[in-house]
Amino acid sequence: MLAVPEMPNAALAATASAAEQKPLIELAHVGVTFQTKRGDPVVAVDDFNLTINKEEIFSLCGPSGCGKSTVVRMLAGLLKPTSGDIWIGGGARARGFSEVAIVFQRPTLLPWSSVINNVLYPVRVLRRVTAADRTRAMELLDLVGLADMAESMPNELSGGMQQRAAIARSLILDPKILLMDEPFGALDALTREDLQLDLLDIHASTRKTILLVTHSISEAVLLSDRVAVMSARPGRLQDLIDIDIAKPRSHETAAVPAFLDYSKRIRDDIFGPRAKREITR
Amino acid sequence: MTATQRRIVLPLVAFILFLALWQIASWVFAIPVYLMPSPLEIVRGGARLGPALFSNTLETLTTILIGFALSCLVGIPLGVLVSVNRLTSEAIYPLIVFLNAIPIVAIAPILVVVFGTDMTARLIIVTLIAFFPIMVATATGILDTPEEMLDLARVAGASPLAEIITVRLPHAVTFIFGGLRIGVTVAVVGAVVAEFVNANKGLGFLVTSSTAQFAIPTAMACVVMLAIISVLLYEGINLLHRMVFPWSIRRVAGH
Repeated sequence: MLAVPEMPNAALAATASAAEQKPLIELAHVGVTFQTKRGDPVVAVDDFNLTINKEEIFSLCGPSGCGKSTVVRMLAGLLKPTSGDIWIGGGARARGFSEVAIVFQRPTLLPWSSVINNVLYPVRVLRRVTAADRTRAMELLDLVGLADMAESMPNELSGGMQQRAAIARSLILDPKILLMDEPFGALDALTREDLQLDLLDIHASTRKTILLVTHSISEAVLLSDRVAVMSARPGRLQDLIDIDIAKPRSHETAAVPAFLDYSKRIRDDIFGPRAKREITR
Repeated sequence: MTATQRRIVLPLVAFILFLALWQIASWVFAIPVYLMPSPLEIVRGGARLGPALFSNTLETLTTILIGFALSCLVGIPLGVLVSVNRLTSEAIYPLIVFLNAIPIVAIAPILVVVFGTDMTARLIIVTLIAFFPIMVATATGILDTPEEMLDLARVAGASPLAEIITVRLPHAVTFIFGGLRIGVTVAVVGAVVAEFVNANKGLGFLVTSSTAQFAIPTAMACVVMLAIISVLLYEGINLLHRMVFPWSIRRVAGH
C-alpha cells in the first residue's frame, strides 16, 4: 500500500454527510485484475474510488462477484491492487491487528486453543502476552457475552458464540480499522439479528471504523452510516447512500419509513435492469 | 456390560477361541511341529530361550525406538520443508521419492558393509524405512491448512515461520499422528530386516538362527514377541495422541 501525500479527493467523497468527518481510508482509481489459468485476464475491480471516514460503519453491498471481498482483501493487505492507490491514515502504519483487524464469514477460531487464547492470538503473533493483555481479553469476552466460556474449547461453542469470540479477537489490539467480510452470513436468522444489535452496541462503545461487507440489504441499512452499492463484472462503485436514521437503532428501525426507502433504493440499484419484472401468479 | 468393557472383553474372547481352535487342530490333525507349531509348543519354544528372549526383545525394542525417534526428527521437518515452500519442494521432493523407491531390504547388506556391524547400520535402515510415511503425512497436513486460517495469520502479521508454528503445524497434528502410526509399525519391520542381515542379538537374529537349526517353535515365539511390540507401540502412539492433543481427536463443528 502506498502512502499518497496529497489525498486524492474522489468526487464521491463530496457526498459525505458532514464536512467535519475525517477520512481514514481512501481508495483512488483502484483496479484489480486476476490472471486466469487459461490466460485471459479478469477485471475484478475497476477504477474504484472510495473514502471511509473515521468512526463510521461503512457497508459494501452488491451481488456476488462484484468485488466486495476483493476490496476487503486489499485493505487487509492480503492482495495488492493492480493499479491505483490505497491510503490509510491515522498515523504510522502498525503491524497486524493493531492496524487492520478482520472478521471472516466463518469464525476461523484455532481449534487447538481455548477461547481466551484465540482472542489473544493476534497478540501472540506479535509479542509476548502480558497480564494486561489477558485482562483486556477478558473484558472483550465480557463485552460479547462469553466471559464464562473463556477456558472452553472452540468446538464446545455454538456457531453464534464462535463468531462472537472472533469479534472479541478482532478488537484485542484496538485496531484502527475493523474489516468484516459477511460476518453474519453463515449464522441462522435469529442469531444473526442478535449479533447485528451487538455490533451496534460494540460500535457505540468502541467507536471503531468498521467496513462491513454484506449480501443483506436490510443488514446494510440497519447497521451502516453509509452504504456503497457495487455493480458486478467489473466491480465498480454504483451508488453511495447516507443512511440518515437516528441512533441508537434497533430492530424496530426496520419499520421506519426511511428504512424502507433506503432498502428500496439499494434494491433498485442492484436489480435496476430487471426492476420492472413482475411476479406472475 | 458397558461399551468400553465390551470393546476389551469381546476381542479377548475371540483371541482365546482362536488359540484354542489352533491348538485343537494341531492335536486332531497331528500337524508336525516344523510345519506349524501349536500355541503351546510356541510357548515352550519361547521358554527354552529363558531370559535371553527378553534381553533380545529389549535389544530389538531399543533399535526400534531410537530408529523411530530419528525418523520423526527427519520426517517431520522434511515434511514441513517440502510443503511450505515451492522452491524447496521442487528441489527436495524428487530426491526423497527416489530414496524411498530404493528397496531397503536390498541395500541393507550394503549399509552393513559401509557402516559396520554395530547399531549405526541398523538405525539407518530403520530410519530410511520409517521416515517416509511420517514425512508424507506431515506434508499433507501442512498443505491441508484451511485458507482462512492462513489469512488470519497473515492479517495478524505472522511471519512465514510464525505461520508454520502457530497455524500450520498444529493443524497438521492429526495427520502427523496418522503418519506416526504407520511409521512405528514400519520401524518394527525395519529393525527385523536390519537384524536379519547383521546382528548377533535381537529378535530378528534369533528368528534366523533358530530357523537355521529347525527350532521353529523358538522362531515363532520371537515372531510373537515382535507382534506384541508392534501392537503396544501402535497403541502407545494412540494413547500419546489422545493425551497430548485431545482437541484433534474430535472433529470440529463446521469442518
